[in-house]
This record gives sequence, structure tokens and C-alpha cells, in this order.
Amino acid sequence: MKVKYFAYIRNYTGTKEIEIDHCYTLKELLLKLCEKYGAKFRNKIFENNSLSDEIIILVNGRNIVHLQGLETLLNPEDEISIFPVVAGG
Amino acid sequence: MLGYTGTLLRVNLTDNTIKKEPLNLEDAKNYIGARGLGTRYFMKEVDPKVEPFSPDNKLIFMTGPLTGTLATSSGRYEVIAKAPLTGTIGASNSGGHFGPELKYAGYDGIIFEGKSEKPVYLYINDDEVELRDAAHLWGKNVFETTDMLIEEAGEDAKVACIGPGGEKLVLFATVMNDRHRAAGRSGLGAVMGSKNLKAIVVKGSKSVEVAKPKEFLEICKKSRDMLKNHPVTGEGLPTYGTQILVNILNQSGGLPTRNWRDGGVFEYADETSGETLTEKYLVRNKGCFGCNIGCGRVTRIAEGKFKSFGEGPEYEAGWAFGADCGVRNLEAISKANFICNELGIDPITMGATIACAMEMYEKGILTSKELGRDLPFGDDEGIVEFTRMTGLREGFGDIMAMGSYRMAEHYGHPELSMTVKKQEMPAYDGRCLQGMGLEYATSNRGACHVRGYLTSPEILGIPEKLDPFVTDEKASWLKTFQDLTAVVDSAGICLFTTFGIGLPEISEMLRTATGIDLTDEEILQAGERIWNLEKLFNLEAGFTKADDKLPDRLLKEPMPSGPAKGLVTQLDTMLKEYYQIRGWDEEGVPTDEKLKILAIE
Repeated sequence: MKVKYFAYIRNYTGTKEIEIDHCYTLKELLLKLCEKYGAKFRNKIFENNSLSDEIIILVNGRNIVHLQGLETLLNPEDEISIFPVVAGG
Repeated sequence: MLGYTGTLLRVNLTDNTIKKEPLNLEDAKNYIGARGLGTRYFMKEVDPKVEPFSPDNKLIFMTGPLTGTLATSSGRYEVIAKAPLTGTIGASNSGGHFGPELKYAGYDGIIFEGKSEKPVYLYINDDEVELRDAAHLWGKNVFETTDMLIEEAGEDAKVACIGPGGEKLVLFATVMNDRHRAAGRSGLGAVMGSKNLKAIVVKGSKSVEVAKPKEFLEICKKSRDMLKNHPVTGEGLPTYGTQILVNILNQSGGLPTRNWRDGGVFEYADETSGETLTEKYLVRNKGCFGCNIGCGRVTRIAEGKFKSFGEGPEYEAGWAFGADCGVRNLEAISKANFICNELGIDPITMGATIACAMEMYEKGILTSKELGRDLPFGDDEGIVEFTRMTGLREGFGDIMAMGSYRMAEHYGHPELSMTVKKQEMPAYDGRCLQGMGLEYATSNRGACHVRGYLTSPEILGIPEKLDPFVTDEKASWLKTFQDLTAVVDSAGICLFTTFGIGLPEISEMLRTATGIDLTDEEILQAGERIWNLEKLFNLEAGFTKADDKLPDRLLKEPMPSGPAKGLVTQLDTMLKEYYQIRGWDEEGVPTDEKLKILAIE
């Protein structure tokens, strides 16, 4: 699986993207990433065990809000993108 | 009523007369200011069938009641005229410091009539107002003109002007102020050029009074705190600017690529992103008058063939010269954008017109003989060269100066122009973002993203998270966004404030500044009134339901790849619902009942 990071999320990960072993759900993946990147990353991603309002996660381009949220099932070839909320135009 | 100065300038360029007249307060109450009030004046005075470059087309600069006050991001003003690119009502909004300075000189706006025999500029220093000879400025670019006028008028003067693009009637020429800020779309700079009006210089020493100072300050402070504490306006935009959108649109499959031919995914997007701009080229961020967001980018390309210094690129400009042209070189993209500011032309239409020419070249419709050189997708030198040539109307740039629709139609292939009402669609693919597809089709000034920015709920999740692929409820959301945007543009504050504040805060600022006692709902209804007025102008100008459409590429060519693969914009369904929700008949004409409710004569 490929995980991509954007904007200031890159400050917490120190990298733009990684390949990672298959996780079965998005939650499993995020917990693994929190372990890897530590408290600052975790505090940005989660708020009281729910996904923070300040984070947007896409699985293959689809916002997980329109999939199954943290319970979204993942396939080994999936691409996951993690953004802070951003805007412009 | 306060917030307004209560005085307008009426400048007749044909007979060189200048009059001061009281602001129509009844209209101000009903149409707020800036975009709404300017359009109201325009509709009362100008035949919608007027030719855009006729002396009978008027050119209005109008501020809003919050412009130049302590309201957040209150540097905005609007330019209004019949637009040469589209033939619709033209209303373009700009920030910077020019709008506030006009109010400090004592004027809510300026109405230009007629056409000057020779180049002139308008000089305003409080009560002293005169037309001055601009022969020495004609032919100068935006930065040279601004520098020369500030040299003449003093450091504290603010300048709005046109560049060679406006002088030479490029159909998408801009009005530029404070060097890098643009009233950018639909070609209002060319209307200014057609009147031989090179610039407006303004110096003001007065102040803007508000009706309830204590309450006004309270709501302004609250609004500023909300913006400061919001992750988008307090962190994302100041840090990365609007180019931050490149990656999220690309990952979502909504970044139009190579003249919208490819699948909404540009393989080199990250190289052109806000992250890359910040890392490699950003000197500092910059805010307009009274802004605590500061999304502006001061950028420098330190060396190489695209060496340059300026502001931007913003997301739309970066996309037009980047993904839309298949160009991955951010230095070339920045340079092309700087040239647009220097020559006074709209980078969205410019980049999209080059993208269209690139596809025509690829298909053999345009040859290197006609173009004067090759122009394949990805040509980084090409975007810079053709931008310069278009702003100066040199070589094939003379054809590009008409925009992509007229260019493609000239060669028998209008279907390759990605336009609505002859204006180029900006940087969100309507096959992926269904609501934005509807926005392009219904915008009163041709394809536009800032009339009802449904990207916000469809991709960014603000204020709610809507599925971009779904059409349900998009018509209703769009109506609300379009009406609210009309309020914001008319109030004189920046649309970006709406990422962090909403109707309650904006309404309270308006009430306490003006003293007009309207409810939030009545203020939103003023936005709806403005939207309907603009629509009436277009109907009287000859537009019909048949013009509320999208290019066939969005309706008939399913997205070839990416997350939105297989989708087209389902316009028919959404448009029917949209007309109903607006209280318009099946042909998209406001019903008598609706006009009565809105009290539009």
C-alpha cells in the first residue's frame, strides 16, 4: 500500500510518501502510522479516538467520509492520501 | 446610513466633465454595495444590448459599506461593465488597498461614461478630482505605470490601471491595482482601454464612519479571532497560499489536465503544488488591506531562463499554465503568471487558451507555420512566450487575444474550447465535482469558480462534507452559495473569510456598520436579489437556457481515468432542479412572482 502526505502533515512524517505492509482497515493503518511518527502526528490525526475534523483522508481519491470512515476496508494496492483541511480558489 | 461615504463620482470621458452626486440610499439598502449596487446602477443606465467597446457601455468602480473599515479582509471593490469576453454582465472583484483609499477620499464609487479622445487618467486627492493627460503612460506595463504615477502623486497614492492588454483590447484584459491585484475576469480592462482610460490614482485623508462603533468592533474582533483560529484561514492559507489546492484536487481526480482531455489527474502535480512553491520560491506571504489571512505569495525565481520576481501564482493561474497545459515546470508557470500581471491579462483564460491551442496543434488543426513555432503539451517556454505575445498582440498572440472560444471557432473546432458563455472554466473538473459543473453552467458571468464555490463542501469539507460524485441537493447548495457570495462581494470583504465565518457574522458586521436593521435572512435575500438582477441583465442581453450549458467534453466524454473514471456531468438533472429552486420557469427565466418577492422592478 502507498501512503501519501501533504502540506504540513509532511512536517510530522519527514517524507512525502511511503510504501507500507497491507493493513485491513483504515483504522489499523492509522494506528500503525501513529506508532511510527509519534505523538504529534497522532494528536493531529485523532481527537478523542475519532478522526480529527482538521484532517482529510482519501482512499483512492475518495474521502473516507463517503466510504466507511475509519472502518473502510483496504486492499494491498490502495493509495491513501492524508491532508490537513485546506482551501483556496 | 453609515459605512457608505454617501457620494459617487460621475466622470464623462467624452466631454471631460466630473460631477459629484449623492449615493442612492434606497438602492444601497436593497443591493448592499460593490457588486450588487454597481450592477443596479449599471442596469438602470445602460442598455443590455450595448456593444462592450461602445462609448455607451459604462464602467463602474464600486466599493461596499465594509470596504476600508475594521471588518476583516475589507480591501475589496468591484468593477462592473458589460463584459467583452462573454457579452454578459461583467463584475470582477479585487483586493489590495485601492478600494479603501477611494473611500478615504470620500467616494463610494466612480461611474465612467463615454470615451476620451486621447489617453487620460483620473486623479483624485480628496475633493480635488481631475482628468489628466496619460500620453506618457500609454504603452507602459502595469508596474511601470504604477511606479510613474506614484512618483507623480506621492508614496501614499494608490493606483488602479490597465497594461498593454487593456490598451490593445485583449478580450480578457484585467484592471490591475496595487501592482499585483486584479479585477481579473471577463475583460473589464479592455473596456477601460476602449475608453482611453489608463489609470485611476487616488489619495484620501478622510475616514469611514460606522453606525454602531462599539458593536461593530465587537463583531469584527470576534470574526478575526474565528479566522485566526480556523485551520484553513489561520494556518493553511497563510503558509501555503491557494496553490495548496493542487494536490488535493489532483488526488481526488478533479484537476483538469491537458485541456480537460485527460482524467483529472496530472502526473506531475506535486512539482507544481503549493508545497513546492513554499519550499523553493516563496519569499514571504502578503495580505491585502485589513487582512489577517495573508494568502498572497511574494515569490522569486532566483536564476535560470525563467528568472523573475513577483506575486503568485494563485491556484487557478498555476493550474491554467500547469496541469491544463501539461507543464510541470513551476518556474515557467510563475513567470507566465508574472507576465499576465505585468501586461494586465487574466491568467485563467490565458493559460486555458494556450492549452486549447496545444490540443489544436496536437490534432494538426494549428500548425507551427501559423503559430510561428511548435506548441506541444508540456512546452514550458511556449506558455511564457505566447503569454507575452498575447498581452502585446504580437504574431499568433493576436488570435489568442480573443480567448479560446473565438480562436477554436475561427478554425472550425469550437468543441475544443473549454468555456461556458465564451469564458474559460477554471481548475475543477465538473465530471468529478458535479456541483461545480452546475456552477459553471449557471454563473452569471460565464464559467466561474467564485460565484458559488461548491469545491468547498465537495472536496474540502467546509462547511459540510458533500460527496462530489453525487448530484442530490447540489442545486440547493449552489443557490445558497451563490446568494451568500453575492452578499460578500457586495459588502466589500474577501470571499476567503467565508472559510472561517458565515452569514451571522457578515450580517452583524453589515448591520452595525450601516445601521440598517435587516435580519440575516433579509441580507441573504439581498444576495438573491442581486443574483436575479444579474440574470435579468443576461436575459435582456439575449442569453437563453441554451447558454446554460457545458462543453460536450464534460457531458459526453466520460472521465477517461482517475478516481472519477467513467463520470460525466449530469447537468440536465441538476439544472432543472436549480431553476425550480430559484423560482424560475423551465426556461430559466425568473417568474413574476419571484421578482415581486424580491422587489425587483
